[in-house]
Amino acid sequence: MKEIAIEAYKCLKCGKIHYPFHDRCMDCKGREFQKITPQGNARLITYTQIFNLPWGFDQRFLIIGIGEFENGLKAMGQIDADSVDHLKTGMVMKPSWEPVRVQAGENVYGLKFEPIT
Amino acid sequence: MRDVAIIGAGMIPFGRRDEDSLMDMLAYASLKALDDAGMGDKSVDAVYVANMGAGMLQHQTSVASALVDRLSLYPAAAESIENGPASGGSAVKNGLLAVASGYYDYVLVVGGEKMREVTGWRATDFVSTMTHPTAEYVYGITLPGMAGMFTRLYMEKYGLTRDMLLEVAIKNQSMGALNPYAHVEMAITREGIYDSPHSVVNNPPAADPLHLYDACPVSDGAAAVILCPLEMAKKAAKTPILIAGFGQATDTHTLQEREDPTDLKAVTLAAHQAFEMAKLKPSDIHVAELHDAFTILEIAESEHIGFFKKGEGGKAVLAGKTRLGGQIPINLSGGLKARGHPVGATGVAQVVEIVFQLRHELGKDRQVKNAENGLTVNFGGFGNNVVVFILRRVKQ
Repeated sequence: MKEIAIEAYKCLKCGKIHYPFHDRCMDCKGREFQKITPQGNARLITYTQIFNLPWGFDQRFLIIGIGEFENGLKAMGQIDADSVDHLKTGMVMKPSWEPVRVQAGENVYGLKFEPIT
Repeated sequence: MRDVAIIGAGMIPFGRRDEDSLMDMLAYASLKALDDAGMGDKSVDAVYVANMGAGMLQHQTSVASALVDRLSLYPAAAESIENGPASGGSAVKNGLLAVASGYYDYVLVVGGEKMREVTGWRATDFVSTMTHPTAEYVYGITLPGMAGMFTRLYMEKYGLTRDMLLEVAIKNQSMGALNPYAHVEMAITREGIYDSPHSVVNNPPAADPLHLYDACPVSDGAAAVILCPLEMAKKAAKTPILIAGFGQATDTHTLQEREDPTDLKAVTLAAHQAFEMAKLKPSDIHVAELHDAFTILEIAESEHIGFFKKGEGGKAVLAGKTRLGGQIPINLSGGLKARGHPVGATGVAQVVEIVFQLRHELGKDRQVKNAENGLTVNFGGFGNNVVVFILRRVKQ
């Protein structure tokens, strides 16, 4: 299994976590950050099932959500589910780093969530 | 700073316009605005063209320079303005500031987009490029998808219901059916999109919990206005419309970085700025054009502007408070939902519609009687760049 390659940034001055990168802290405008990675499982904040997909996706639908990891980092990812029927906000999801789309014949890796409870 | 007025407004019917190029549409709308201002054979000092996608969709750049050439407006200064779906609002704002500063007297602002000549796949991808490249776009998220995630949170936090969203769609399409400029001139019924076996086919899920009829169509179209100092506008043929206030604010690029993703801070801030400048309050507004790219946005924006308290916007729609004759009529043009959403044109088209309203030029089935003050909200990205205008009829 591939390591999750998300790098987030914790402000060294005020501790705010940023993902994606900002050159200045959103709160204190500090410019020094510690790189951090997602820790543990993620809690589902919100989600949707999209049926009208953009160019580059050759499938019927995508289920996409935003998860909050145990260290407070929030990130979007694809959810591995057949429908949204068994999803609910607040549920726990196991993250992994897997192909999320194909560009120029090459797999592009990203965050995938597997619903647990 | 000088007060600035709109002395000319024009637009072309939105929809699928296979016969017209982007430049055709920009030229037609510009000529209508110039003629409306009584300036058909005169020049302007500057031209601002709002457009989001010509470089991607038509493989054409520098559209403002091309439009000046097409209309023989040289040596007018010319700039293209790309600010996502808020391009139109941004272009009007730049025109306003140029005239207010005293640098230019007569300015043409025109917005246009030609989206129907590419496949739905391509158009969806084009609009999705405004999301964050590595944190959002890569996953296949679309703007309807962002709206779906936002709607779910709004439902959970404020008790928003599907009934409320349906009512926005029904109201706006009923108004679009009366608007000759609308892309979708077709009224819909609750039975057709919700309460019958046919509704499953007519109104399939698009971005759960949103369905097809919760979203605006993909459109071609253009709209234009002519701005000048208020003092000069008083000599114009038609009733001048003062730009009494404007505001613009931004928010985080990604939805996930918002402390409360249901809080459209940029809408609140931009509206606050506009009300302060105009020295008005929400209850002073007689008619509004809100950016209902999705039904949820009309409700959420109506709350963030201050027309209704948070969580009350949906109930207000159900109670008919946003219909013609209601407390605050919203999107009597049909909104983006029915007029359509050629992204670069939308912000200008909203202003054009309010100009028609404040000049009392519309038929009685769409006209707010004695309307004096109108408001527009042009919503870029998923609320990360918002432009608000307050327009006022000038008493002559």
